Amino acid sequence: MNRLLVVFLSLLVGSVFAHTNEHANLGKQASSIKASGKVFHQSISIIRRMHPEFLHHKRDKTLRQGVRTDEYSLKGCVSCHANKNKTNNQYHSVDKKGQFCSDCHQQVGVSLDCFSCHRTTPKEGFL
Amino acid sequence: MNKTLNRRDFIKTTSAATIGVATVASGITLTTFASANKVPVTNEKRWGMLIDTNKLTEADIDGMVSACQQEQGWGSEVHSTGAQRPDWIKKLKVKDKATGKISNLALMCQHCEEPPCVDVCPTNASMKREDGIVLVDKHLCIGCRYCMMACPYDARSFVHETLSNQKEHMPRGKGTVEACTMCVHKVDKGEAPACVVSVNSDAVIFGDLYDASSQISQTLKTVQSTQIRADLNLNTGVRYSGI
Amino acid sequence: MSNIRFEQIEGKSLGFYVLVAGLGILVLAALGSMYYMEHHGHFVTGMSNRIVWGMPHVFALFLIVAASGALNVASISSVFGKKIYKPLSRLSGLVALSLLAGGLMVLVLDLGRPDRLIVAMTEYNFKSIFAWNIILYNGFFVIVAIYLWMMFERRMNKFSQKLGMVAFVWRLVLTTGTGSIFGLLVARHTYDAMIMAPKFVVMSFSFGLAFYLLILMASYKWTDRKLGDIIVNRLANLLGVFVAAVLYFAIVFHLGNIYLAENNNVEMILFSMDSIYTNLFWYGQIILGSIVPLILIYHPATKGNRSILGLASMLVIIGGFIQMYVLIIGGQAYPLEMFPGKEILEGYGGIVSYTPSLPEIILGVGGIALALIAVTFLIKFLPFLPESLADEVSNPHHKS
Repeated sequence: MNRLLVVFLSLLVGSVFAHTNEHANLGKQASSIKASGKVFHQSISIIRRMHPEFLHHKRDKTLRQGVRTDEYSLKGCVSCHANKNKTNNQYHSVDKKGQFCSDCHQQVGVSLDCFSCHRTTPKEGFL
Repeated sequence: MNKTLNRRDFIKTTSAATIGVATVASGITLTTFASANKVPVTNEKRWGMLIDTNKLTEADIDGMVSACQQEQGWGSEVHSTGAQRPDWIKKLKVKDKATGKISNLALMCQHCEEPPCVDVCPTNASMKREDGIVLVDKHLCIGCRYCMMACPYDARSFVHETLSNQKEHMPRGKGTVEACTMCVHKVDKGEAPACVVSVNSDAVIFGDLYDASSQISQTLKTVQSTQIRADLNLNTGVRYSGI
Repeated sequence: MSNIRFEQIEGKSLGFYVLVAGLGILVLAALGSMYYMEHHGHFVTGMSNRIVWGMPHVFALFLIVAASGALNVASISSVFGKKIYKPLSRLSGLVALSLLAGGLMVLVLDLGRPDRLIVAMTEYNFKSIFAWNIILYNGFFVIVAIYLWMMFERRMNKFSQKLGMVAFVWRLVLTTGTGSIFGLLVARHTYDAMIMAPKFVVMSFSFGLAFYLLILMASYKWTDRKLGDIIVNRLANLLGVFVAAVLYFAIVFHLGNIYLAENNNVEMILFSMDSIYTNLFWYGQIILGSIVPLILIYHPATKGNRSILGLASMLVIIGGFIQMYVLIIGGQAYPLEMFPGKEILEGYGGIVSYTPSLPEIILGVGGIALALIAVTFLIKFLPFLPESLADEVSNPHHKS
């Protein structure tokens, strides 16, 4: 029974890393940062594994204590990782099918609840 | 193997990277919060508001309501009926039964020191910050609406439909409760709430009630002011004069 | 009492399957309604920012209050040592648990975010009466379940009386907690009074016993088992006393409010002719739900008649439901008294109207159906009912 659990958990965790470093929908800003050769996330595997923790920690600090820094701000995630529709020049919602957040979350079968309230595109007037 | 996961280190390294990017790729996203609050708010401050109904015109109140809607993004719900639509700030006209005096006032969350909504919330979603601003933590709100039953000011609204295109600073969603936040996102940047800014006179004063030299404290010391439902001893952050 | 034999019902008749299927459809319809309301949001209901708790809450609180009352039959035997009620205890525990399950289902499915139920179970604000209630409900399930097990398990029988005592205290606290949800709302004149707590306790006695009586009589009739007059008449008398007590509390509560000048306006809702709550209060709660059942139970011409007693129990349930409706919806319909001595000309006020939508009602009915389907199934699979409650069985000293 325990062995099964270990197998199951490693599959679960493994699926997070199974994703290649290439991402079709990395997002407009994120793609250009990557293309310029700069490093935003020190370790891709850490941000993949830990981003729920980071966001969770940050949300309580911001909402309850008024700490408003850029670090791990969901706004930051969205503004970097949102894609633009080439034809009408509008941003896609990051939680729509095939977009950055939902793409991965669907693959690993984890639902995400951020966007039942949070804005899914960069703020108005953001280029 | 890599070294073991140490969360503190990662936060440090990643934050270093963040600052790096912020400088090299400035103007992208990350320099927007120039005067962002980096330390937790404390109870050395208590934010409050004083509304002088003798100076406040009806047009002022309409302006306050639309400034709030614009800032926070409520009021354009399509499916909700009149009584279902959010109502963070409302315009009231009250008449004294004995004297016949009529006052117009704006009513919103009164940001009580002893908020009944916080007492009744089963999940701690209804909360008061150290600096006295009462908020709903929508991450924890289960939509039970007990806070709406408990609020003496009818200040809270329930989101009755699916929303999209929310303001970046104001997450709002179906099935949760919301109310005036005293524009906490602006206050944390050192600005005044949108409704206060929209009024051109000094009919609405915003400031720190604990700072004896602030305009609001000075004014409260000299003019007659009241709290709505003062009998409940909630010690509201929003005060009124002229009613 | 050793001659009491408990036995499962057969549960193979056409009637049984029709009953289960019918109730099952109602439960499914409730789940469908819930999906519809949650998918669209509460704008499809009649609820609003003024009537924040609507029809689902009326059903839910009614069922929860009745649940704690249904346990009384067992308590009379275990706490007050009335032996004649002992054979009735198992069913009493079962009805209590089932009604609570039905009520909680409705309550939870009406939340804005029922998907976050886990938050309600993990994040507690111990100042919140709601949070206490969550603990009280969960505790009730555990205690009554263990109580039932002790009654079933011969080796544990000797402890069942003690646990029955615990269960009785717990249920009193539970109903007090439910009443306090309203009783401690300082903002609202329509509720703010600690009489709410004892009032809810008495209401629970009456509604719970009415449910119990109906279920008892129906299950014995439909399974052709004997149910003697001694037990039924005792329960009927008890119901009469409880109904009278509820009426008494209603009178005291409203007279008290009328006497206190500050609440004069609030009480007008019961006397102003143009309000639906006025009619519901007088015709529904007072006449239909209290006076008529009292007459049916005590009048010599109708006393002792089973069908009439069934009708009286039904009326108690309907009247109790209406009472809950007037209390919950009527209490919100009246505006908050924000400016004493002042009149609000614009922007707020007036008695708001509320029209419950169909999905809300279906969800609520589904809660009752869930409770009944649970009882129906469990009496088939476990020996809850004595195979006979004829007078000579339930009371050996009875001379016929």
